[in-house]
Amino acid sequence: MITARRKTGLIFFPAYDWEISPSHPERQERLLYTQDQVMEEGVLDIEGITEFKAGLATEKDICRPHFCVPDVESRITPSHSVSAGGCIEAARLVLDGTVDNAFALVRPPGHHAMRVVHGARGFCNINIEAVMIEWVRKHYPHIRKIAVVDTDCHHGDGTQDVYWHDPNVLYISLHQDGRTLYPGSGFPEEFGGPNALGKNLNIPLPPRTSDEGILHVMEHFVMPVLKDFEPDLIINSAGQDNHYSDPITNMSFTAGGYARLNEILAPDICVLEGGYSIEAALPYVNTGIILALAGVDYSYIREPDLDPERIREDPRVIDYIRNLTDDLLDLWSRREHFERPQEEFFRRSRNIFYDTDGISESQHEVVRVCTECPGAYRIDSSASTGYHVLAIHIPWGACSRCREQGLAWFEKPDRKNYYAVYLQDMDNDEYSVKIL
Amino acid sequence: MIIGIDIGGTHTDAVCVDGRNITATAKTVTGDDLVHTIRDAIEALAIDFSKISRTVLSTTLSTNSIIEKKYAPAGMIVSAGPGIDPRRYFFTDDFHLVEGAIDHRGREYIPIRADEVARVAGTLKKKGVDGVGIVSKFSVRNPSHEIAIHSIINSEFEHVSLGHTLSGGLNFPRRIHTTFFNTAVMPVQKRFVHSVRKALAELGIRSPLLFLKADGGTFSDSAADRHPVETILSGPAASMMGGLALCHDPQTTTLMLDIGGTTTDIGILIGGVPILEPKGVDIGGLKTLVRGLKVMSVGAGGDSCVRVSGSEILVGPDRDGPPACMGGPSPTPMDALAVLGQFTKGDRQKAVQAVTPIAGRLGQDLSDVCRRIISILVGNIKKSACAFIDEVNRHPVYTIYEMLHPEIVEPGQLMAIGGPAAQLKPYLEESFGMRCTVPEHAMVANALGAALARTTRQITLTADTQLRRMICPELGIDEQIPASMTLSDLRRRGERELRDNADRLGISAQGEISVLEEQVFNIVRGFSTTGRNMRLKLQTKPGVIEEWSAL
Ligand SMILES: [Zn+2]
Ligand SMILES: [Zn+2]
Repeated sequence: MITARRKTGLIFFPAYDWEISPSHPERQERLLYTQDQVMEEGVLDIEGITEFKAGLATEKDICRPHFCVPDVESRITPSHSVSAGGCIEAARLVLDGTVDNAFALVRPPGHHAMRVVHGARGFCNINIEAVMIEWVRKHYPHIRKIAVVDTDCHHGDGTQDVYWHDPNVLYISLHQDGRTLYPGSGFPEEFGGPNALGKNLNIPLPPRTSDEGILHVMEHFVMPVLKDFEPDLIINSAGQDNHYSDPITNMSFTAGGYARLNEILAPDICVLEGGYSIEAALPYVNTGIILALAGVDYSYIREPDLDPERIREDPRVIDYIRNLTDDLLDLWSRREHFERPQEEFFRRSRNIFYDTDGISESQHEVVRVCTECPGAYRIDSSASTGYHVLAIHIPWGACSRCREQGLAWFEKPDRKNYYAVYLQDMDNDEYSVKIL
Repeated sequence: MIIGIDIGGTHTDAVCVDGRNITATAKTVTGDDLVHTIRDAIEALAIDFSKISRTVLSTTLSTNSIIEKKYAPAGMIVSAGPGIDPRRYFFTDDFHLVEGAIDHRGREYIPIRADEVARVAGTLKKKGVDGVGIVSKFSVRNPSHEIAIHSIINSEFEHVSLGHTLSGGLNFPRRIHTTFFNTAVMPVQKRFVHSVRKALAELGIRSPLLFLKADGGTFSDSAADRHPVETILSGPAASMMGGLALCHDPQTTTLMLDIGGTTTDIGILIGGVPILEPKGVDIGGLKTLVRGLKVMSVGAGGDSCVRVSGSEILVGPDRDGPPACMGGPSPTPMDALAVLGQFTKGDRQKAVQAVTPIAGRLGQDLSDVCRRIISILVGNIKKSACAFIDEVNRHPVYTIYEMLHPEIVEPGQLMAIGGPAAQLKPYLEESFGMRCTVPEHAMVANALGAALARTTRQITLTADTQLRRMICPELGIDEQIPASMTLSDLRRRGERELRDNADRLGISAQGEISVLEEQVFNIVRGFSTTGRNMRLKLQTKPGVIEEWSAL
């Protein structure tokens, strides 16, 4: 019999009756072979590793991080409520002290879903980590600073977007360079909004980066940054598409590497994101992650076809990564000295494409530059679906001026032709909508 | 006529059933020689032996030999490949790891080495080991490594068990434990079955002999020879099946309480079928793949020790001996019942003497204290029962449909058997707020459960139309299939195999077959579907035989 060093909770929800389409990477059997491997290895019989049932996220839970257009019901299926609800259960287990850490091995994923939701992007409708984080902030107010380390191969542009203006949520993403992969973003210059400078950190990695490169970034960049930030909660968006066998990416990470990554990071909560090598990678990667979380020896977990020599990165790749992490660490150390914009309101405009649903959106954002609080902001969003809406966010711990500004934006919209005006009032946990 | 015999630790109960009637019952003392004990019990029934159509035994033989580690030394030959280090599950020096690996779809990626296996077999043989268990990881997806190892060592060992034949379930550590126990108790069981057959023949009984299993079903003596591990924990199974047989309204979800002196066993019957442990039962501190009833055992019974702590009364979880009114050392709930005049077999005066000091310390009226003791006992049982129901309802589900349409288990009635059941009935009804039935023949419920249980077996079929392969580990089927095979083809095939192999499985060919689980998934390569992966679990449905329940 094996006993775990840490109590680990597993929320397993494979959603065997949900798919985008039968041959889509996000299909019914995505976690089938993972379940087989975890069962056959007897992982759930290890003393200290316990499986728990997923839950259902409520409409309110989803409204905390998202403006769903026109409403939550139109933008999600029950699968998304369960997947986000599974993350909430994982957080509850950890924060109630039932377990030391937890893994929400759920689907569908969420890290490409942004704050405004007109449809699905990168197989994601709602951001399951963000739903969980906002639920945690509501129910466990002592959790003030949260770090999300996203180790999916794709840049988590959704999570970056949801927390762009939030200085209390540090988002760090390791991913294949956006010049070579969807969604094409995630560069070091994307450093956070004017009130949250330095709280968004991107590490784009060259294709074919393997264990040495990724673990170097973990040890020499991510860990020192986390030490400085001192988060109350660490979340790993544990996408598994960096694996050498993944069919839609070009990296060379291994199951052993993923396990080691989690051993180094020691997250409180892991959330499955992408990973589409459902037979050759996921069974081994997931087993490795669970064992690493529980503090059980994972050194014998290995893919049947693993050939470390074949996938080892070129020395030039390692040199490149060393220089990159040095530069990023330098950038991080100067984060307090970045100049904030001088004007009271900072504006940005951009276009967002929803590849899964084929929708384009145009956003005009105004954020109040504030030294007292994370700052209220408004997003004017129009999509090719015909919806044109105004979305207003009053952040956790808003100062009175930001609160007044947010309420004024909501009460007196600047134009009449919005379909609806939405308001997120975090401190009061109120989410309002006015159909105009 | 069917005879059911339940051999317990102290007493052996026997019952004779003819159609819907219990025609004879007997209670004898369990002796050291189980064959003698069985013989005594049958003779005590005083019936015409020539009319016996079958004899069903529920014994503690394999359970005790595992718990007391009184089994023959058994060797294990295990192949695993990468994964959690299998040596973590080895618990004697006779476990040997050999090369060989199979993946989750049943594809071989490291072959077995015959020379290595032969060398290991030689080492075991030299040590005088007679039994060998053979297990490989994912053998239920591809049994060829276990079969290959078996053929290499075939002639050298008397007792051999192959992991894939014992259960179609995935779980390599449990497969190791199950196979080890099966091999280790095999010689004991074989000797026992042989002696029982002989003893029955001497009495003129030549009809079939069956054994009760942990899942509340039975199988033939020859199946028990090969799979003795399935007869573990048949005691609680016998009591649950006995309760079911005596239940007037089995269609209502029933909370079953088998209240003994030391412990109470709690189980649930849904639609006339007891619920099972999803992965397999535990024995001797180890987890197995043995299909068994889900039973919770709590330290609360008629003889539980009663103590005072401050202003609190504590009942159990331990037992100090018999109740004071029966000559025991400490007060018990039975003494409380005796004081109240609700239990009349013991010496009431001794009960009063035992409980009076408690009343004194608490400054309470004697009969109030007695009622309090009983309600604490019943409260302890209820608390555990609620936790048990809660656990059943918290079982994870893997589809959105089940998430949105949860099947909540909510018992609507109580059924209590065991020594103090009749006396506790009114207290149970009040505490649980539902009707409680204490059946008439509760004293021989276990023997009755053995007599009336249906034969049961489960088989697992997996078909992979891309690899063109179908496996049924329990029946050793591993064959090529057409790419066009569908789930309904697989289901028909499984039903046919279950009937055609009834003899080998030790079951009745007429048993009602039910689908426990079925799933079908696409296998996709690139962006097109290249096959289907189908999984099916079939069983002959457990429950009480129709001759009894139909009337
Ligand atoms: Zn991804
Ligand atoms: Zn402010």
